[in-house]
Amino acid sequence: MISEEEIRRIAKLSYLEIKDEEIDEMREKFSSILEYVKKLQELDVSSVLETANLSQSENVFREDIGEERDSEDLLKALPRRKDNYLEVKKILYNED
Amino acid sequence: MKIDLTKLTIKEAHEGLKNGGFTSVELTRAFLDRIKEKNPEIKAYISITEDMALKQAERADEMIKKGEMSVLTGIPCAIKDNIMIKGIKCTAGSQFLENYIATYNATVIEKLEKLGAVFLGKTNMDEFAMGSSCESSAFFPTKNPRDLERVPGGSSGGSAAAVAADLCVYALGTDTGGSIRQPASFCGIVGMKPTYGAVSRYGIIAYASSLDQVGPLTKNVSDAEIVFEAIRGLDKMDSTSTDLKKKNDLNKLRIGVPKEYFTKGLDKEVERAVKNAIEIFKNQGAEIVEIDLSHSEYALACYYIIAPAEASANLARFDGLRYGKSLEDEEGEIKDVYFKNRTSGFGKEVKKRIMLGTYTLSSGYYDAYYKKALKVRTLIKDDFLKAFEKVDVVLGPTSPCLPWKIGEKSDDPLSMYLADIYTVSVNLAGLPGISIPCGSSNGLPIGMQLIGNVFEEEKLLAIASLFEKNYDNK
Repeated sequence: MISEEEIRRIAKLSYLEIKDEEIDEMREKFSSILEYVKKLQELDVSSVLETANLSQSENVFREDIGEERDSEDLLKALPRRKDNYLEVKKILYNED
Repeated sequence: MKIDLTKLTIKEAHEGLKNGGFTSVELTRAFLDRIKEKNPEIKAYISITEDMALKQAERADEMIKKGEMSVLTGIPCAIKDNIMIKGIKCTAGSQFLENYIATYNATVIEKLEKLGAVFLGKTNMDEFAMGSSCESSAFFPTKNPRDLERVPGGSSGGSAAAVAADLCVYALGTDTGGSIRQPASFCGIVGMKPTYGAVSRYGIIAYASSLDQVGPLTKNVSDAEIVFEAIRGLDKMDSTSTDLKKKNDLNKLRIGVPKEYFTKGLDKEVERAVKNAIEIFKNQGAEIVEIDLSHSEYALACYYIIAPAEASANLARFDGLRYGKSLEDEEGEIKDVYFKNRTSGFGKEVKKRIMLGTYTLSSGYYDAYYKKALKVRTLIKDDFLKAFEKVDVVLGPTSPCLPWKIGEKSDDPLSMYLADIYTVSVNLAGLPGISIPCGSSNGLPIGMQLIGNVFEEEKLLAIASLFEKNYDNK
């Protein structure tokens, strides 16, 4: 079963908080899915190519000309708006 | 005798509108009334867009008067809540977006609007499309109209329930691992997932970008064809979209039945109904061919590595800074904001899948899980391509089980994932697939899945239609 340390590490990478009382349940459910997907180890795929995407198309190009758009709809959705700016917390700080 | 307007198919409603039997406004009001009456019980809808619907209906009536109507003009439909309609709340079934207003139309919405469609509302879904029952909706579970104690399937459960309960004429859903086909099967209606790339994903809140597709949920096969033709096409805003179409020889009828599909785990009643469907095809002169999809047993594991991996990247944008749930100011720095907003905004299933995806993509595990899954994906796709050298469609059950009671599978996530074993491989291979009703067990619907080769929707729909004509649904 996946360790508590590992679960906490993954949660941190995902920017998610796991409460202490949720750890055991998360470990169990996570481990049972991991056990199931380990099934793929049965297959020898050394000579198989990856399917990264199914796209039949080619890249789309266009002229580098901008389009005028009204940004009010986007600005209205900002949780913390100051004029036409988005207000955020400190982004420069000392890592503890 | 007054006809019940809510029972009409697209074709029937179109005839009525064209002949002046009723107006789009009358048709729309009939649905809005029925929604007021039945939706509180079924809970198919998250938002009901009454004002917009009536305005669209009036505009449609103008188009009809001017003789500018298409087959979808004035026909009321329901839209899954991960498809954006400008100015309308779009939640993706999540608390994170419970107050989010879409700022643009999805391409499929633009196309339907141009044709004069009427949008009745946004339907319920599993949160961020992650689920097979609508039980993971952050708001409420939707009930199966055939048995209100049971699930309608998912993640397009709201759309399926709305069509099955006559709360719209047709609906749009999305399908990443079976999310249109499985609820269609559970609710006794038709649901189709097009070939990957046939329909634009622009304006769809993404779950797994190499698997997601938009598709129709309808009362019959011919309606599904009408909606598919209306929403398909190359879109410069989605570089994975294409206009590719295969010209099909519709005289061939070779049905491939994978021997791997009829093993333990398949409900006996589902097996009976699907085997009966095979007999019906035989009676129509079809050649039944046993085929080998030898990597079938690995499809679910492959899906549950690839989909969560892509989801962990797609859902990274939800940080609460530019839109979405944002908690009140507290002490701390920017990264604390990310943790707090995401943790409070996402439900359990979403968190689990994001973490699963993060794990399999992380250093040390990337090769063993994600890269391996991409290779297994090739094997699964090649199984199908090889089969299509000998057959025209592949036939099997849509789901191995009947709709379960709400709450019955909550403690066992794996058992819920197993409901998708027949549908996930179709997304992995990028093929078109359709679920059509083929039986029932004590009133619970059973669906059969037909899978076609890439861009052969014409052939797939023709074969599905042939079955529908010859299947006695009484």
